[in-house]
Amino acid sequence: MPLGIKPGHRARKSRGRLSPFTTLTLVVLAIAMSAVAGGFAYFMPAALVAWNSTAQAVQVPSPSPAEILFSPSPSPSPVAQPGAFTVLLLGSDDDSKFSADHVLTQSMILMRVQPATKEVTMLSIPRDLYVHLSTGGYGKIDGAYSYGAAGAAIATVEQDFGVHVDDYIWVGLLGLVKVIDAIGGIDIVTNSPVMDDYYPADVYGSWPYDYQRVAVLAGPQHLDGIHAMQYVRSRHSDIQSDFGRSKRQQQVLQAIRLKAKQLAPSDLPALATAIGGELKTNFGLDKVAQLVPLAASFDNPDAIHQVLLLPPYVEPGAPGGSLTPNWGLISRLVHQTFP
Amino acid sequence: MISKFLLAVGLAVVMVATSVSSYVYLGSRQSKVAAPVQKPTAATPRAQAFVLPGTIYLAQAGALYSFSAGRFHQLTSEAGWMQPALYPDGSHLVVVRRFASYSDVYAMTPYGAVTAQLTDNAASARNAWDTGANDWSFYPRLSPDQRTLWMSYDGPKIVGANYFDVDLAVWALPLGASIRQGKAWTVANSYTGGDMQPVPVSGGIMYTKFSYDQNGNRVGQLWFTNRAGAAGRALTDTSAGCLEPSISPDGNTVAMICTYQKQVSYLTIASWSGASLGPLQTVVKDQLVAEPIWAPDGSGIAYLAPGGPAAPFQLWWLPRNAYAPPAPSPIPTPSPTPGGPHNGPLPTPTPSAAPVAPVVKPIQITANLGFDATSPLAWSG
Repeated sequence: MPLGIKPGHRARKSRGRLSPFTTLTLVVLAIAMSAVAGGFAYFMPAALVAWNSTAQAVQVPSPSPAEILFSPSPSPSPVAQPGAFTVLLLGSDDDSKFSADHVLTQSMILMRVQPATKEVTMLSIPRDLYVHLSTGGYGKIDGAYSYGAAGAAIATVEQDFGVHVDDYIWVGLLGLVKVIDAIGGIDIVTNSPVMDDYYPADVYGSWPYDYQRVAVLAGPQHLDGIHAMQYVRSRHSDIQSDFGRSKRQQQVLQAIRLKAKQLAPSDLPALATAIGGELKTNFGLDKVAQLVPLAASFDNPDAIHQVLLLPPYVEPGAPGGSLTPNWGLISRLVHQTFP
Repeated sequence: MISKFLLAVGLAVVMVATSVSSYVYLGSRQSKVAAPVQKPTAATPRAQAFVLPGTIYLAQAGALYSFSAGRFHQLTSEAGWMQPALYPDGSHLVVVRRFASYSDVYAMTPYGAVTAQLTDNAASARNAWDTGANDWSFYPRLSPDQRTLWMSYDGPKIVGANYFDVDLAVWALPLGASIRQGKAWTVANSYTGGDMQPVPVSGGIMYTKFSYDQNGNRVGQLWFTNRAGAAGRALTDTSAGCLEPSISPDGNTVAMICTYQKQVSYLTIASWSGASLGPLQTVVKDQLVAEPIWAPDGSGIAYLAPGGPAAPFQLWWLPRNAYAPPAPSPIPTPSPTPGGPHNGPLPTPTPSAAPVAPVVKPIQITANLGFDATSPLAWSG
């Protein structure tokens, strides 16, 4: 033992030091943990929005005997394909004219996704269709959501169309604007120029019952969120009114899908922040993770079928300017695709 | 052996650096889909490698720009300016300034100085309560003699009538005169958007007319009329869905886009006899083409199209060889052997393959910009 060193001192000093192996292990562990933490922090906003927006509980009221009596007679259903599912897309005016969750659905699209054949069928349901509402009574189908949120809208579609809805996605007006802006706009070929002198100025104006003029000119163009919303929302300047608008909505949905294929996973936080509370769905996060690559694989435009309920499937003349459904014809059409 | 204290400090530094790095790295991996477009004058490289003849006038974000010798010059502020068209003598431009509820036509020098307001479409203060009391003027053009202003116009309307049917019609008015002296040349189909994009041609006006086909689809068609109020006649079929006509400098060919009732837009050309169009020839099929315009010297066609999938619109150039390739040089026929008559059978000429014209593809002139694809281009020689 060297002079001047007390017995036991060396042992204490060695306890204050670590072996190279332990040090290396700690360093590797620290790098891995902090890299994960950085990633976690990056994706945190997206995770929070996803957590708040997805897996929304839906209470679908079971139909009453009267509703069953009213429902159209079942037609032969298509052969169920493995993995196929039906989604109800709901688009709402969620401006200040309405209180939250008591909004009308200006857009209702029933979508059948068949992953095996990479086919999608989109059936636009006219918002003025006069139906038996799942919450009781009769009215325009756009009111179903306002009486009982997504559950009532789903139940109304299920009972009246005789289909099963697996999932739903609800998007507010501002959500559409924000999504399109967050993906950098969309490209559209406008064969239906929109010229509307009385377009509702209810999104950004101070008085929600005000009007504004809009003109979405003809031809190919790059639309930002606001102009895309004007394009899909206006119906005054279209002789087909809501039907013409449904066509434009389907065009914009396809354009969004096309643009979304250019996105990278790192875009998710910005996208999630933009969407905020403007999107709700009962999809769980696990299913969302499955759907993202699935959506990207649908690359054949001819495999995306668009169906509109035009006359004679519906006829004018129902109360309040609504449309009378011809359930016999609609049922046969719908059950070619939707089980 | 490393002391625990030093290790703890080192690890803390490493962890902070790694977590920040991973955050920054993920941020850098974002796609560029939502990247804001550049101003043409700030675009890099500033001068594009490919130089087009003359000067092209374009609109982006409400500002007008000229493009000559590979450089952009901003002519106006970003204040709703769009749809420039040249006076036939090239001395001025007629342009549209779009406001929230109306738009007006102005005369402007090629350097961006406004010289006259040619329409007055804002609702009067007395009628300002009715949004429908305002009017739109779009797609201005001048007649070859520079005395008549052609445009698409949605008036006049009755204040308070609450018309939902707002359609543009092609109007003509003496340059500088009030709209009261103007005349509607076409009668628009109801609830279609109407008649637009007038192009003065010899003996009348070519324009795009929207209508509903027998399946209820709204479609554009090129039409021609030679008299105010006359019925006019269709030049293209509804199934082709053609719009945005542009007449060649020699007046014999029309460039247009055809959409075939789908989300496509093909650059198409057809011969123009002065009364009818020849067969449609698709020239560019794999892009979303908008606003084609002929080079004043006939050397090609410029147009707008996205710079990538679902991206903002850039300036593109299609050289003439792409749609009118030079005739192949004749295959030489064997000539008699020099030196006198040949009595025997002529030797069979060796077949030589006709020269194959190289495929000429469109050339992208700009990148990272975002031109207004509903604003026709103007091009001076």
